Amino acid sequence: MVTAAERVSSHKWGMVVDVDRCTGCQACVMACQAENNIPLSTEDIYRQKRTFAWIRVERYWYGDFPDVKARFIPIMCQHCENAPCEPVCPVFATYHNTEGMNVQIYNRCVGTRYCANGCPYNVRFFNYWEPVWPVSLRNQLNPDVTVRSRGIMEKCSFCVQRIRRGVREAARDGHDLQDGDIGTACTDACPTNALVFGDYNDENSRVSIMAKDDRKYTLLDALNTDPNVLYLAQVDATGGAIGGHD
Amino acid sequence: MATTSLITDAPDDRPSNIESTALLAGEGRTAAGTGLKRFMWLLAALSVIGFVGIVFRFINDDGRQDWGFYAATLAWMLTIFGGAPMVAIAPALAKANWVRPVARIASLGAIVTAIIALLMIPLLFKFPALTQFSEVLGDDVRRRSIWFDSRDYAPHFWNVLILLTLALVGIAMAYVMAIPDFAAIRDHGTGWKQRWGKKLARGFYGRPQQWEWLKMRIGITGALYFAMLLYTNFTFSLDFAVSLVPGWKDSLFPFYHTISTFQAGIAFTIIGVWAARRWGGMNKYVGHEQMWSLGKFMLATTLLWFYFFYSSFIVFWYGRSESDSATIKLLVSGPYIYLFWTVFFLVFIIPWWIMIWNKVRDSVWGPPIAAFIILIGLFLDRIRIYVASWSAVPDDLELATTSILQDMPDTMWPDVFDVFIMVGLPALGLLSILLVTRLVPLVSLWEIQQSRLITKPVRFLRSHVQLVGKPD
Amino acid sequence: MQQRRILDEFTVNHELLRGNLATPKWWLPTVLGLLVVVLFGFTLMGIMFNRGLGVTGLSRPVYWGLFITTFVFWVGISHAGIMISAILRLTQAEWRRPVTRAAELLTVFSLLTALFFPLIHAGRPWRIFYWITPYDFARGIFPNARSPLVWDPFAIGTYLTGSTLFLYVALLPDLGVLRDRTTGWKRSFYTVASLGWRGNPRQWRLQTVAGILLSALMLPIFVSVHSIVSWDFAVTPAVEGWHSTVFAPYFVVGAVHSGVSAVVTMMALMRWLWGWDNYIRPEHFDALARLLIVVACAWLALTFAELIFGVYSLEAPERALREMQMFEWPWNLLFIIFFLTGFAIPVPLWFFKRVRNNIAMMFWTSILVNIGMWLERFLIIVPGLSRKQPFVFTWDSYQVSPLEWGLLLWSFAWVMMLMLLFSKFFPLIPLFETKESQVFTTDVQIGRVTMPAVIRELD
Repeated sequence: MVTAAERVSSHKWGMVVDVDRCTGCQACVMACQAENNIPLSTEDIYRQKRTFAWIRVERYWYGDFPDVKARFIPIMCQHCENAPCEPVCPVFATYHNTEGMNVQIYNRCVGTRYCANGCPYNVRFFNYWEPVWPVSLRNQLNPDVTVRSRGIMEKCSFCVQRIRRGVREAARDGHDLQDGDIGTACTDACPTNALVFGDYNDENSRVSIMAKDDRKYTLLDALNTDPNVLYLAQVDATGGAIGGHD
Repeated sequence: MATTSLITDAPDDRPSNIESTALLAGEGRTAAGTGLKRFMWLLAALSVIGFVGIVFRFINDDGRQDWGFYAATLAWMLTIFGGAPMVAIAPALAKANWVRPVARIASLGAIVTAIIALLMIPLLFKFPALTQFSEVLGDDVRRRSIWFDSRDYAPHFWNVLILLTLALVGIAMAYVMAIPDFAAIRDHGTGWKQRWGKKLARGFYGRPQQWEWLKMRIGITGALYFAMLLYTNFTFSLDFAVSLVPGWKDSLFPFYHTISTFQAGIAFTIIGVWAARRWGGMNKYVGHEQMWSLGKFMLATTLLWFYFFYSSFIVFWYGRSESDSATIKLLVSGPYIYLFWTVFFLVFIIPWWIMIWNKVRDSVWGPPIAAFIILIGLFLDRIRIYVASWSAVPDDLELATTSILQDMPDTMWPDVFDVFIMVGLPALGLLSILLVTRLVPLVSLWEIQQSRLITKPVRFLRSHVQLVGKPD
Repeated sequence: MQQRRILDEFTVNHELLRGNLATPKWWLPTVLGLLVVVLFGFTLMGIMFNRGLGVTGLSRPVYWGLFITTFVFWVGISHAGIMISAILRLTQAEWRRPVTRAAELLTVFSLLTALFFPLIHAGRPWRIFYWITPYDFARGIFPNARSPLVWDPFAIGTYLTGSTLFLYVALLPDLGVLRDRTTGWKRSFYTVASLGWRGNPRQWRLQTVAGILLSALMLPIFVSVHSIVSWDFAVTPAVEGWHSTVFAPYFVVGAVHSGVSAVVTMMALMRWLWGWDNYIRPEHFDALARLLIVVACAWLALTFAELIFGVYSLEAPERALREMQMFEWPWNLLFIIFFLTGFAIPVPLWFFKRVRNNIAMMFWTSILVNIGMWLERFLIIVPGLSRKQPFVFTWDSYQVSPLEWGLLLWSFAWVMMLMLLFSKFFPLIPLFETKESQVFTTDVQIGRVTMPAVIRELD
């Protein structure tokens, strides 16, 4: 039996999003869709206002006409240390694990959707229907990821299946886990390296270094959620740093 | 008829010489009367000390945070003396007979509200304008207040006006409720009292139409007073506490303030009843029944105090946002934590465990003890709230620009002038009430006479009960 | 004005047991009609279980909609019983007597209805036992005591148990009367149900003590139930319009407002359907309307605080929410209807004595109040969710689906059917209270005036 002390992990996973590098290409959205067996957001589902996107790219207009610029912010589950979704779940379907991740246990979920109301970032998704894929896509489903049934919540898992595989393979091969060994689907797909995934407990990891950047901010920090996803503000020759949504 | 035969007359042993008892009380002809005079001289001396305190407060003035204790004292006085008249109104609207003998004691609290309105004026000079730093930040930057885009003088001007209106309505109500007693003084009194009674009775001879008018006026002033009291508590608590703290957004706070006003008003009335029995010779007219009924209401408001406090607290505590945590830290767990726990015990736990016993409520000594504890506790509660919020932001620029309390202030301790103020101003309030009771009887003659008419001791089968008429 | 009629005990028994010992002609067709609606509603629930919550209009930002609104609404209605039975009993208001049974009944049945909504609204309703039962079911996980959704079942369960007991204790003397007047299987049923009630002094004393004790114990529960329901919303800082400290008293006072109005509606129906003119008199409507004026004004003050503090923060997301709630189509229309029906039409009308004593007017105004109170909850829940925080990509609205309307209809039919079924087996107006009131009220002559008088115990 594993005791609680042994279960405490040496990792603290997190992500840093350099907003300055984001071009809004949506590659992360597509990669996440493919990796995590996310139900298809068809036109019908869109009209029902029930689209799924564990990571989404929000677009804002910045500046006054004619100097208008489009700005992009990728938003996924912030894996808050102080998550508002966790205490409100009546059945502990969502809880905080020892690796700094906010995890969703599908089997426990009864679908009260209270966590989704509690989430200020709106990154939790409810399966209103049993998900279906066209025949052509059925073989594309990722066997490492559960296909969620109807009536439960789901959200970004930091590609927990990739983390587990990375740790397992490192142990099998007998070497230490290096920064960059584990990437989530979105970070791997990002062409400009705007998204970086890593371990905050590793002082030399890219995320630890980026977290010391002056441009660092967190989304909706007034809510005191203490996210594990950090953002680096956009630097603009004309407008200076743009700090999120103040 | 089967029903009426169950009820038979019982001997009526209630005293009937209310006029002579009530009018003689406080005349100065008894030992208690001389004691009262000495007490009033003491109060006058304390009031002078209070004014000395205000003057020195002005001289030793390092900014807004020095005025927290002054604001807390005024808030406490508003809590007690503004709330007391509610005891005269609310049960009367529900046609409760027990309230009649204490309605006078309760309604006299309204006199002090006029003094509070005047005492508020020095405070206004310390009160930040809505656009405090407009030349630095531009005109559209305003501090958060319920006055939104009003003119700069809005909080100062309207607060004085509202408090003056409250005083006016309250004094009008107390006066209207006393008119038949002035007529009694005119008819039975002597010397200066008779002259004043004649003037103030304004030709009241108890004609049916005069009684109709009286009832209507009491109803109108009473309803108006209730509305004004709620409104006063609303603006006073928001302007003098909530809006001075960035990030304190508490929609329940005005009602919390109001409910403790009721609590303090009932406590004040209970102590007044006790004093009227102890020194005013009113043992026959006010006693167990009043203590018991007032005690029930005091227990109810004590529980409501906790309910209102907890309703705010859990929302902040569970919410955990930065402004939520800062608010809790400022008011509960931060610089005033010991004060908070003292308040919690004095206002809630101790009175609760005293008043929960029917034996205690039904005594003449139990409720006054609890009432005294509550009044002390509420004073500390007002200090906790007002001193904390007046000391929260010494820098007005921050008040206008942030929505989160950044720097937690240190615990403020009163200096000697604050102590002068805290002792002197309530003494002034009490003195003004005692001065009025030189003329106005401490219990309402007509109310007691009317309740004697309406209620009647009867026997129902083998038990002694009361038959209570329900006039429309 | 003395509206009381002096009735002998035979007449009281005869008239009040009219619905139990005989069956009114309209009873069976009405119950069958309601049964059709109820079965239709259960069918809709079946469809929802079978196909998933996709059949509702709920969407991504608006995860809670009509079901939760209706849940809050029925929990609100349930506050009628304790308000009228317990508070008015403790304050010895004489006019409460004919109203108590109906009010307590409304409490029990509306709670039974309210319970359905959060349960059918769960994504996987077949697993709700993990949520509402404080037991670990061999999974090693108890429900999360920190979640307000776990406080709810405890609060509502306690309230339901308490008010059922309250109803039953008050029913005992009447069950004794019914036992003595029925034959056959009915007699056996009432014999068991009346628990050997014979009306001796000891039983009366115990019954009275139980009533007072339950009243006092139910009061804190009464306050806590709707407070806890309000904290489902208020503890959530993520939703702009919800995180308001005023919610607990606001919901409780609003619940009393709608609950007492529902009792008025029911009383008018009882007077019309069973012809109980001797018992439910205009003076009772008058007294309830006076109570409602006080409650409605308190409610208005709390509403004012809720709205003004919404704008007080002067922050953009909160402003966007209030703008939608009050000024954007169709919410502005709902807001106007809410304000008119919840306060602006009924309350000024109640200031007139003629309206207070007019049963048809009281019936319609009380219905208006409940329309307004339902909309109040809807206007709190839905706009808050659809304008959640500044992430405009997720701002969206909510279209109520026909299925949800159907289940709203079901809830009303269900309550009415339960009421009518109850009325067949138990008296809706307490017999013993009526008889006690006959003894305890009399006239007193003061000078030239005769006024109604009641007997009070000396303390």
